[in-house]
Amino acid sequence: MASFIADRIVEIHRQLHDHLPSEPALRVKALESILVARGLIDSRTIDAWVEAYSEDIGPKRGAHVVAKAWLDPAFKARLMADGAAAINELGYLGDATSHLHVVENTAEVHNLVVCTLCSCYPFSVLGIAPNWYKTAAYRSRAVRDPRGVLAEFGVVIEDTIEVRVWDSTAELRYLVLPQRPPGTEGWNEARLAKLVTRNSMIGTHRDLTPKTGEAA
Amino acid sequence: MDGVHDLGGKEGFGPIDVNEPEVPFHHPWEGRMWAIENLTAAPDWTIDWWRHVRELIEPVDYLTRRYFDQWMQTQTAALIDSGILTLEEVISGGVVSARTMTGSPMQHHDVIAMVAARAKDYSHQIDVPPMFKEGEEVRARLMGATGHTRLPAYVRGRVGAIHAHHGAHVFPDASARGEERPEHLYSVVFRADALWPEASGRAEKVFLDLWESYLERP
Repeated sequence: MASFIADRIVEIHRQLHDHLPSEPALRVKALESILVARGLIDSRTIDAWVEAYSEDIGPKRGAHVVAKAWLDPAFKARLMADGAAAINELGYLGDATSHLHVVENTAEVHNLVVCTLCSCYPFSVLGIAPNWYKTAAYRSRAVRDPRGVLAEFGVVIEDTIEVRVWDSTAELRYLVLPQRPPGTEGWNEARLAKLVTRNSMIGTHRDLTPKTGEAA
Repeated sequence: MDGVHDLGGKEGFGPIDVNEPEVPFHHPWEGRMWAIENLTAAPDWTIDWWRHVRELIEPVDYLTRRYFDQWMQTQTAALIDSGILTLEEVISGGVVSARTMTGSPMQHHDVIAMVAARAKDYSHQIDVPPMFKEGEEVRARLMGATGHTRLPAYVRGRVGAIHAHHGAHVFPDASARGEERPEHLYSVVFRADALWPEASGRAEKVFLDLWESYLERP
């Protein structure tokens, strides 16, 4: 049972800070060893989790969602109305996506997603968040200087385009629907999905092109 | 809580590493920590209690340690607090009562199924009608809250407008104490020039999801 007492946690953190090895790899190894010795975890199960999040559960799921939305107006309508229900059609509903909200980029609007208070991210549809997304630099600046942040990513937004920043302060999670690039008429879903970058679904990439898939 | 985790709008953090390799885990220990966090918990933990334990990391560690290293600290502290591990065994590396895990390890398809089963609905039906309507101006309360809260400092006292009503969701301030108390939740939109002194005339919009008790009529 959790104590729900902050002072108790502060004291535990202090002890851990003072007594654990200085290298994170050693700290995590020590934790895994204890959990294994206590019979609370199986290292082979950890292997399976790492493999699943390295291969299947990642931004290629989100790219599939985006490509399908580009091709299928009825799916897009369902996705915009209820993101969680729509991704469930593809088997991607899961951890941190029960309240998925999709925000669409248009010629007039650009969307950018952040979590200033922790590092909320729609795991089951985008996988593990990029490290930069979880840094103080991104979390502090995305809400205050979104155009400056975008410029660092090489994205220059014209003054006439409205920038909307979504700070994930509740259990809603945000997925950006990027614009379909010109020059992709007649492409099928699999080919389109290859163009969709992870960053375009967070909002730190805007203009996809028929070449973006090859560069990634 | 007025901690260093409340980073929105804080200045001085410098450039973003936009060229980091696009991989899920940058070190093997990061992937292992991700798995450990997903596989160990006490039944009464809430997402907000876990977030609060993370916020309570020593400030210097919070700002300088990598994300999954913070998870190591958070998970270990929460496991110790719940009596699942002891501080002594974590520090010494020696286990008091060793036992072997029974059963087969999870396979790839088990993980896929477990991630799907993690879809958790935080919404609730409540009898109280919502206090605010779409389009209505609201002010985020100037006074924050000690303990866990999801009202960031950068909007406190600032006027925005209700963009959408999401129904009632579990209230994080109470959830972090192990209580389930749903409350109306809104998407609230603020103009940049209502938030930042240097943003005069800038039309960017910042949207936050804020609970009803964080808001008042201006």
